[in-house]
Amino acid sequence: MRRILIGIVGLLTLFLAAAALTTGCGSSGGGTSTSPGASPTGVVNITMWHGDEDYAKKADDALVAQFNQTHPNIHVTALYNGGNDFALQKTLTAIAGGKYPDITYIFGSWAANIVKSPKVVTLNDMIASDPSFNWNDFWPAERLAATVNGKIVGVPALVDNLAIVYNKKLFDQAGVAYPTADWTWDDFRAAAKALTDPGKKQFGFGYPADASEDTVWHWEAMLWDYGGDILTPDNKQAAFNSAQGVEALTILGEMATVDKSIYIDTTNQKIQQTFNNDHIGMLVTGPWDLAGFPDVDFGVQVLPANHQTISGPDNWVILNNGQDRVNASWTFIKWFTDAKQQMYYDLQTGALPIRQSQQKQPDFQAYLTKYPGTDLFVANMSNAVKARPTIPQYSKISGYMGTAIVSVLLGKADAKTALDQAAQQTNAALAVPGP
Amino acid sequence: MLRPAPDSRLHRALGSEHFAGWAFTLPAVVLIVIFGIMPIVWSAIMSFQANDLTSPPTWVGLANYRALLHDPMFAASVRHTILYTVLFVPISVSGALLVAWALNRKLRGVRFYRLAVFVPVVTSTVATGIIFLWLLDPVFGLVNFFLDKLGLPQQGFLQNPDQALFCIVAMTVWGWLGFDVIIYLAALQGVPQELMEAAEIDGAGKWSSFRNVVLPFLRPATLFLVVWSTISALQLFDEIWVTTRGGPLGSTTVVVVYLYQQAFTNFAGGYGAAIAYVLFLAILVVTIVQLKIGGRRIYGES
Repeated sequence: MRRILIGIVGLLTLFLAAAALTTGCGSSGGGTSTSPGASPTGVVNITMWHGDEDYAKKADDALVAQFNQTHPNIHVTALYNGGNDFALQKTLTAIAGGKYPDITYIFGSWAANIVKSPKVVTLNDMIASDPSFNWNDFWPAERLAATVNGKIVGVPALVDNLAIVYNKKLFDQAGVAYPTADWTWDDFRAAAKALTDPGKKQFGFGYPADASEDTVWHWEAMLWDYGGDILTPDNKQAAFNSAQGVEALTILGEMATVDKSIYIDTTNQKIQQTFNNDHIGMLVTGPWDLAGFPDVDFGVQVLPANHQTISGPDNWVILNNGQDRVNASWTFIKWFTDAKQQMYYDLQTGALPIRQSQQKQPDFQAYLTKYPGTDLFVANMSNAVKARPTIPQYSKISGYMGTAIVSVLLGKADAKTALDQAAQQTNAALAVPGP
Repeated sequence: MLRPAPDSRLHRALGSEHFAGWAFTLPAVVLIVIFGIMPIVWSAIMSFQANDLTSPPTWVGLANYRALLHDPMFAASVRHTILYTVLFVPISVSGALLVAWALNRKLRGVRFYRLAVFVPVVTSTVATGIIFLWLLDPVFGLVNFFLDKLGLPQQGFLQNPDQALFCIVAMTVWGWLGFDVIIYLAALQGVPQELMEAAEIDGAGKWSSFRNVVLPFLRPATLFLVVWSTISALQLFDEIWVTTRGGPLGSTTVVVVYLYQQAFTNFAGGYGAAIAYVLFLAILVVTIVQLKIGGRRIYGES
């Protein structure tokens, strides 16, 4: 008798477990409606995945609420994706699972990889048929980063660039004049040397040396400033081991090994704190880092010589959940990235304006006042005229370049040998057809 | 249905112990299948594909495995993994034996010492990584500070390609010793006191009685710890990823780190899956060999 009851309870457990599993699997993806197109009431529901927290998320929510109010036949749900570092993996997982958002945030460096997904909507036609969208209003660096082989894969979501951020107190203590726009790279090197004091464990310059893209893109700005290029115009051969490239890496190497004026952080996890604790005189970094230096009275200046810099724009990518939802997503993202809405977002967050016309918005001056140093970063956008190649092999090439740069910084190789070796590996990778 | 007729087939099926057992364990089994077995099978399939995790994959047969044979960076990662393992396993197992032997007595505060030895095991690898990053910082770290005070030269530690892997060995031995100590403590307490006393009466010295009385009793524990530590060492990832990320200059890139870089940074998912399977086969072979040799020593000779 007891055995029967146990058996029946076991059967019920089975059913419950099966039910739980199927509903659990069914409602993943966070609220995306399973029905394609409009619901019976005629409202199109779309989901947007973003990586904003705190006050940035509040700004997003306020904008989304305003859109939903003024556009009664579209309902947007904005969801925090847990952080943009894994946005690509999460998006790809969602696509593989069949339940994915309509708009998702994708780093610019992944553009060449995400374009291969059949679910990504190419925006060329929609942009061409809608002149009021004004694609050319976006900064050149953004437009380059969103375009892969002529296909526009996303709408700019965020833009930044690299400039010198320096510690005014350390400059004053060492009696060195602040960086100016007339600085040459030799001036930069001399200032770093003057600011270096081994007794105080103080360095003139800090460099992220974990051989990741962070290591590489910092150097790419120098490469461009010296007049070099990453690849040949047809993207078939390496060009970074040119004479200009060797010069650009040699000066960095000599600062590290001869002057010993660089705090070389091979872990790339200590550099911000070290700067904030008054142990580094200058960093080359972007606006996202400024909030991490509350204890430093910092100044911002363009990079030396030709002021060429590098930008790392990210994109809003629209995924195909049916024509109705694609249209609704386009309507929303066009509104969201409009100058007025973006000015509101930037005022709340300190992010750089993604549209050049934002400089004419009424609250632009208030924005500049609220966020010191931003004025230089905004002006610096016009110095970001080159972009990294949007090809799928870029991450491999970046790995080779990163290893070359770190080996020079650590004094294990000279610039020419290291760059030539990286160029050899790059050419081999580019010679392989396909991904 | 709620009360099937007695002696019916349904009645007998529902009442059988097989059915009840399976019904209760099935939810857990399903979870293990979905999150354990399915990824294992899927990985195997992926290793025969060119899969960039974005677009539809293509079949390439054994191409990934063949490419591994000619990949110098994979060969380097294998060398680093082997070097790490042959250092980590003997040091942590024998070190744990010494510590367990020292703690297996009625000392004052022995409970505190045992707790202190075990705390690193329960500390998250991220916390451990950050602590060691700063301890070993060449400029600001405590270790170099003391070396300086002792008049010894400053070291690069995690920022020196020739030293980084050894620092990782030290860090992981520190982090995992406590686990081995617990196992050995339990085994030591299974050594009969009468045998120890008999050996003492017979005139055996401390080392002799340790070698001939205690060690044989510890053989099962030692075999377990050696097998377990070897498997963990061959799969090392967390501690390296939160500190050196495989650097500097690839000196701490072990097999799993290389796998991660291939699959998730270079979008070569199929290649990463092939690496995973080569590692799996290697671990399988090593474990079987260890168990055969160890088993013979424990049960073969008496």
